[in-house]
Amino acid sequence: MPDTQHTTVPGASEAPSTPRTGKISKRRIEHFVAPLEETPLQAVDSVREDSEPLGFWAESWRNLRRQPLFIVSSVLIVLVILVAAFPQWFTSVDPRSCPLEFARMGPQPGHPLGFTYQGCDIFARVIYGAQSSVVVGLFTTIGVVLIGGVMGALAGYYGGWLDAVLARLGDIFFALPLILGAIVIMQLPAFRESRSVWTVVMTLVIFGWPQVARITRGAVIEARNADYVTAARSLGLSKFGALVRHVLPNSLAPVIVVASISLGTYIVAEATLSFLGIGLPASVVSWGNDISSAQISVRNDPHILFWPALALSITVLSFIMLGDALRDALDPKSRKA
Amino acid sequence: MHMKRLLQGVSVTAALALGLTACGGGDGDTAAAADGSYVVTAHNTEPQNGLIPTNTNEVGGGRVVDLLYTGLYSYAEDGSLQPELAESVESEDNITWTVKIKPGTTFSNGEEVTAQSFVDAWNYGADSDNAQKSQYFFETIKGYEESDANGADTLSGLTVVDDHTFTVELQGPESDFPMRLGYSAYMPLPTVAFEDMQAFGEAPVTNGPYTLAENGWQHNVQIELVPNEDYEGPREPANGGITFKIYDSFESAYADLQSGNLDVLGEMPPNALQNYQDDFPERNTSRAYAGNATMVIPGYLEEFQGEAGQLRRKAISMAIDRQQIIDQIFFGTKEVATEFTAPVIEGYNPDIPGSEVLEHNPEEAKKLWEQANEISPWPEGKVLKYTSNIDGAGNKEYITAIVNQLRSNLGIEAELDAVTTFKEMRDKVGQDALEGLSRAGWQGDYPSLYNFLGPLYATGASSNDGRYSNPEFDAKLLEGLEAGSVEEGAAIFNEAQEILFQDLPVVPLWYQAAQAAWSENVDDVVLGWDGKPLYHQITGK
Repeated sequence: MPDTQHTTVPGASEAPSTPRTGKISKRRIEHFVAPLEETPLQAVDSVREDSEPLGFWAESWRNLRRQPLFIVSSVLIVLVILVAAFPQWFTSVDPRSCPLEFARMGPQPGHPLGFTYQGCDIFARVIYGAQSSVVVGLFTTIGVVLIGGVMGALAGYYGGWLDAVLARLGDIFFALPLILGAIVIMQLPAFRESRSVWTVVMTLVIFGWPQVARITRGAVIEARNADYVTAARSLGLSKFGALVRHVLPNSLAPVIVVASISLGTYIVAEATLSFLGIGLPASVVSWGNDISSAQISVRNDPHILFWPALALSITVLSFIMLGDALRDALDPKSRKA
Repeated sequence: MHMKRLLQGVSVTAALALGLTACGGGDGDTAAAADGSYVVTAHNTEPQNGLIPTNTNEVGGGRVVDLLYTGLYSYAEDGSLQPELAESVESEDNITWTVKIKPGTTFSNGEEVTAQSFVDAWNYGADSDNAQKSQYFFETIKGYEESDANGADTLSGLTVVDDHTFTVELQGPESDFPMRLGYSAYMPLPTVAFEDMQAFGEAPVTNGPYTLAENGWQHNVQIELVPNEDYEGPREPANGGITFKIYDSFESAYADLQSGNLDVLGEMPPNALQNYQDDFPERNTSRAYAGNATMVIPGYLEEFQGEAGQLRRKAISMAIDRQQIIDQIFFGTKEVATEFTAPVIEGYNPDIPGSEVLEHNPEEAKKLWEQANEISPWPEGKVLKYTSNIDGAGNKEYITAIVNQLRSNLGIEAELDAVTTFKEMRDKVGQDALEGLSRAGWQGDYPSLYNFLGPLYATGASSNDGRYSNPEFDAKLLEGLEAGSVEEGAAIFNEAQEILFQDLPVVPLWYQAAQAAWSENVDDVVLGWDGKPLYHQITGK
């Protein structure tokens, strides 16, 4: 900005009043600067020096809350979390009471979405199914961020042999496709005998942490050479202290973005495993289980498949949209235009 | 006059009707096929092993082996014995049986079928060195232990008397021994088979209603059978051959059937049960066959022992609404069980005393369960598990339904304990590792009540999943085997079932039924006693 203000523009506006010698250019150069009288300099470039400068997070929040993507996704997520935490607020029907005489029936009074193949109320099952999806997604993300974050931060910050070991270890796990690896792990006797939400979480964490570790490592490497870290170190802060006080907080942004996007994918992974019959035990009400058992009715009663699939899609979509919005806000460099 | 005109009218209508029928029946290119030259295409799965009778115990190979070979007997549509090569099978004491076979029949290479052909084949099947899948069918013949324990190569109970006579000595009396002899394990083999059994299994030389066409078995593609000109017997082919097309999934076979690329499908995929009657109007059939589904309540579980256990077993049985599950889950394709065997078997009696315990009665069930709890309380918070493999069609669906009914009718926590494969479940059963109920079922090897009771509930029997043991019941079984005739034996076996109704080692659920549908090109598709289509009867239209 300031540059253009001071540029003198040769050409049209300053017609030569005195004859010039030598070769005179006939070229007319267009200029894009508005005439001074139209844009008073002070009005645009004045800075309110009395206002407090916004920090990184506050600045991001201000960007975030203006985004429609963020507003829509967070409203949906709040709703999903409410449903997961208090399913009884939304339906009074027991999702596990399945009178066979209602099997595959359409909507009835009090049962707005109809009944499953076994005669369970679809609405109640969709409502109660949110819980396991949210729990798996949330706790897997927490686990992945903790393990991946620590590994990545240590590797990136200390470098050397520790980096080599941790990074290669991460690469090994990273090379295994999540679903394939999870299928193998879930078949191990130790996991198969005690199938629950927690075994699913554990399996997903085992295969999910390298992604976060990589991102954290990159961010930490970028931050550890920053001037403020050198300054803190030269003021006597220990190496580890600098990591915790300065490097980590400044590397959080990309981790948060990746975590919120992958939360959605973990929910899908749980549903996939349950669909394959090796995720959550059949007795747990979950969208993956319901989609799995609805396969048989696709031809004659597609509505049985539709509702849990819709609920799953909306939930996953909202987490991915939230991740997108967060990225836009936290990582201005990635913003386009 | 008036009468005559009326008659004329009738005859004109009749002629018209005949003409119409003729048009309907004989349209298009299949008109010529009605003479019995139409080659039927039928669904099948790839046989697990070579086409050797004693090594075939699964359906894919069984369908083919049954058509390729002929033994002493075959089973008619209703499960009764029809003689094939047997002239007579007789015994005075039900222990030593004298078998006379018809002279002059040959294998497709011209070799005559003699008593030796039978004895060699049976010895081969019983010898543990050969590790045949159907080895256990010979376990009642004398000398089985010796040939099983790697020693003898022959059964001492089998003796060739002359070219067309041999004797079979059993370990104990067995009045329905001849009933077994239609099963594929008891087929004869030509001498060429024993030179290289593996090569023989790929291209067998056989004596049945059909023979394998030259290079007829293209693995995982098809198996081509052509009628055997030399065959004379009750199963004379009514078509020009059968080509079994091999499928990986029932769904794709069903789609082929709909598009006319397949003529006969003898089993329905579970998701088609709701639709096959609409998809194939007038071209489908359903028939109860000699198979049943039961629920095992293991005897080694403490909660199901003693007086309280007895009450609980009854309560569980009464808490299940079998008819509703059949209607809603199986779309009416099964029949409610009324005893422990199957209805197509001679001697079947639906009114055995004690069978009222199989009727749905939730109030009584709840009462019995509470009575049991007064004697010894059900452990606090214990979940009643129902173990089942879920790779079988419909297992997951029906067990989920039963578990739901138990939960609401008995007020307990119950759940499906899903095991991925059949093999895994059998391992669990074999190690006495069941924690609750378990899925079981039995398909008759041969149509006999004993076959549904002995191997399942006798003390220490091979398929006694629940480890049931009752000396009184064992004694009844033995008495039935020693009975003079099949009818007498059946009456005693049914008395034995009364004991089972008291103890309920398993809870009978329903009888199996097979469903078949066929294309517009074929007709006369009938299911046999074992639920398999009688392929030789199928005709082209």
